[in-house]
Parts: sequence; C-alpha cells; structure tokens
Amino acid sequence: MIDFKIKIGKMLWKNPVTVASGTFGLEFGELFDISQLGAIVTKTVTLHPKQGNAPPRIAETEAGLLNSIGLQNPGIENFIKTDLHEYRIIDTNLIVSISADSISQFGEVIQELERQSGIDGYEINVSCPNVESEGIIFGTDNKTVFKLVSMIKKTTERTVIVKLTPNLTSIENIARVAENAGADAISLINTVYGMAIDIETRKPKIKNVIAGYSGIGIKPIALQNVFRVAKVVKIPIIGMGGIRNTNDALEFIIAGATAVAVGTQNFVNPLSTLDIIQGLKKYLDEKKVQYKDLINSVNF
Amino acid sequence: MFYKVLPIVEKEVINNKYFIITFTNFEMAEQSCPGQFFKLKGLEQEFPILPRPFSVFKKEDSKLSFLIKVVGTATKNLSQLKIEERVALLGPLGNGFQIHNGKKVLIVSGGIGYAPLNFLRDGLNKADNEITFFHGGKNANDVFSKNIRIYTEDGSIGEKGLVTDGVEEFLSQNQIDVVYTCGPENMLRKVKEICEGFKTKLYMSMETVMACGIGSCCGCAIKVEENGKPVYKKVCKDGPVFDGYKIV
Repeated sequence: MIDFKIKIGKMLWKNPVTVASGTFGLEFGELFDISQLGAIVTKTVTLHPKQGNAPPRIAETEAGLLNSIGLQNPGIENFIKTDLHEYRIIDTNLIVSISADSISQFGEVIQELERQSGIDGYEINVSCPNVESEGIIFGTDNKTVFKLVSMIKKTTERTVIVKLTPNLTSIENIARVAENAGADAISLINTVYGMAIDIETRKPKIKNVIAGYSGIGIKPIALQNVFRVAKVVKIPIIGMGGIRNTNDALEFIIAGATAVAVGTQNFVNPLSTLDIIQGLKKYLDEKKVQYKDLINSVNF
Repeated sequence: MFYKVLPIVEKEVINNKYFIITFTNFEMAEQSCPGQFFKLKGLEQEFPILPRPFSVFKKEDSKLSFLIKVVGTATKNLSQLKIEERVALLGPLGNGFQIHNGKKVLIVSGGIGYAPLNFLRDGLNKADNEITFFHGGKNANDVFSKNIRIYTEDGSIGEKGLVTDGVEEFLSQNQIDVVYTCGPENMLRKVKEICEGFKTKLYMSMETVMACGIGSCCGCAIKVEENGKPVYKKVCKDGPVFDGYKIV
C-alpha cells in the first residue's frame, strides 16, 4: 500500500495532488469525484464582487496560454451564500484563495471566512499579474508581505499558504519573508508576465495587453523557482506551472515540492489530476521509494 | 456533460475548407440539444494545447456529427485525422436554443455558423414550427445545403450578395415570430438591427476563444445586458445562445 499522505500546515492530505486556483470549479464535480483530490483550491475571491477585465481575456501561444481574467468573482458574501455550501460538503481539504487591494481588506475577507465552517486553509494570492494595487503587485514587496502574513496568522488558526509570483529578481527573499511571518506553506508559481500580438491588426491578443502566461511553456521556469525556494525554506511547497502529467509532477516533487497543483492542463483534460494521482502511485510502487524520500531529492 | 475518448466513425470531406467528423456515443448523443457544443482535440495532438469548441451539427440516434471549418492549426490537425483515430470529447456543453412550438421561424446563418442551425432545424421541425432558412457565404464552398435560400458574395451559387440583404425584405413580407442566427460578428450585428424593427424574438449563438468550456475559468466572457446594466457572461456556460437583443 502506497503511503501518500502529506501534511501541509494543519491539513492532512490523502495524496499530494491539487488544482491551481482559477483553473477549477465545482463544475468539475460533474465529471469526476473531486473528493479524490488531496485538496481543492477555489478560484480567488475578493471582498467585493469583481467584474473582471475586458475581453479578449485568453489567447493561446506557441507553448502555453495567456490569460487576463482580472479575478472575476462574485465577492465574499455571494461566495459564502452559494459555492461555499457545495464546497464544504466535499470530503477533502478546502483551500479558499483570497485576494484584496490592501492589508486591511485582506483582514476583512478572512474575518468573513473565519465565521464559516468547512474551510481548511487559505491561499493568499499576492501574485496575480492581472490586478494591481497602487501600481505594484503585492507579492513583490518584502515589507508588505511580512505585515500581511503576520496579520493573517494572528487572525486564524487555519493553514495559511502564500502564493508567490515568479516575476521577481529573487523569489528566495520573498519566500523567506513569508516563512518568517509564519506562513505554513508556499505555493508557486503564479503566472509569468506574457504578451502576444496579432500581426494583421497589430493589436495585443489580450485586451489588457500584458497577461499571465501558463502551461507547458513555463514549466522550466516554475521548476527552478521550486528548486531555489526549497533550498531556503523549511515549510512545504506546493509546486505548479505547466504540470500536464505524472512525469511533470515528479520533476516538481524531486525539485522540492511536497505537493503539486494542476492548472492549465485542467482545460485540456479535466481528469488529468486523477491520472497524476494514479501515475505517482505506480511510480512509487515500481521504484520502491517512499514518497517523503522523493521530495527534494535532486541528485547532482 | 462527459469526457470521453472516442474513435472517429465517419468522415466526410466537403471541400478543402470544411469537413464533417462523426462519433458514436449513446450518453453524449442522448444529452445533446440544438445549440450545445463539445470541445474536441485529437488524442495524439499535443499542440495547440487547448481543445477547440464545436457546435453539434447533426444527431442521429447515438451518432454525433461536427461540421468543422479549417481556420488554424487546431482545426487543421483535426482535419487530418482518419477514421478510427481517437479524439477526446468534452460535452455536451452550454445552453442550447430555446425551441418554441408551432411558431413561424426564420433561421439566418453565415459560413460555419450553419453548424448549430442545421441541428436546430431538426429540433424545430419536431416542434411543428414553420421554418424558413437563409444561409450566406463568400462563395459556393461555404454552402452546405441546396434546399434553403442561399446568398454568396461572389454569386457563384444562389443570389449574389449578403444573406442579410434578403432578411429585411423577407421580414417585411412575412409575419415571423422567432429568428435564430449564428455567424460572423458583422452579420449578427446586422441581423439584430433588422430584427429590432420587426420585434421578433431573436436567439443568437456566440463564438469566443475558450479555455475550460464548463464555466470555471471565466476566460470566454462577453458583455451582455442584464437588468439594464452591462455585465460579463460566460459564453461556455451562460451561452453560447443568448437573447440577441441583450448582446452589447
């Protein structure tokens, strides 16, 4: 029997596979039993409803996908009234992804969610490339991240995961800051800045011009970020960025990720998370290796 | 909604721009209604990454057919698949056309917009509607049926001109209750303009770039009027069929 259980903060996961925020929803429950996932990460919710960015919001490029959704969501109040009821009865860990324009607004969102049962953790999205707060992405500033994570840790007993952007000169610094502020885990990477142009019209293919790039094209970028961060923090890493199959997932685990998340691939094959869970089991069985010994096991 | 890998059971090449592929699956066919769509991608085809959305063109018992126009790499890849080669299908997706009973109906299609309307015609027939079908294309290659009123821009078949040229005249001479349309953006805009004058019901099937196809990612948003205000709706889940007068 393969032992797959992992601990992320206070959460016990039955397997190390989850989904990247924004690429998954309750709709997938019509296609498979989503309680089979180690955890479910919701689409990011914000204090007030967000209409999202003007379309076109997505464009496929040579080796990946550009998106600029702009965190379209119904706001925390509607989320609690609708989706949360369905999510909380699913028999796996529920991680609510949250974003806000300011530290105090993050606090308000958390306070609302603290009154609700059935939530196991929060993913603090300080890294969306498509919404900006006062001109900068939250997650690129060490002091802001420290203040924010410290505040959230004081407000909740639940597991706090900080999602980092790769659009930085040193991801190690910000990861260490998040750990020092008390983060229970780190998830990385959010999308990479990207752009595409239609040469006939000379218009950007995404209305918002600069977008977030995801999919197989960013896998090497994501992998080296996981590898670097794993060297400098002790808290677990949820690795993501271009994972399509078991082999991709294994690379992230070997590079230092305790868990992996599937994003863009959910749009290609909505059952790919299940394939990866099975594939990892098979790999561990065939290689006669313990899962915990596989994490952060790069041979030089 | 199902996700299944199925072999192509029939393939018909119409000309160098269009082809039809057919699959057999009882559950998928049973659930499919006119206006709904599937996401399709050849199993062995890695790039482009995203499966592309295609409306159901025809349903016969357990058989589902898709009329596909070759426009880019994804559709070219699909066009090169042979019978028995496998395709991943996700669907049926979205909301189909609302079908009323015993109405006088006009269908207006442009180019590949013919696909969902062909399936719709079968549904409308079953509900005792009196149907008139107008179809337009650039030339004879864009025409898929001869038993309807045809317009081509070069006049190579049917009447020379735009399909919308005939719509206004037809609506002024006939009492029509419902108009169904699908096609290029300019055509849709013109159809809406014309129909407004005649106060018909108007159902429009919309096309956008799409990622998840099931309502999770919000990538396929378009602006639609709701309670007097413009809001973003998902083409994949709230559509692809919308009240044509509400499209902003």
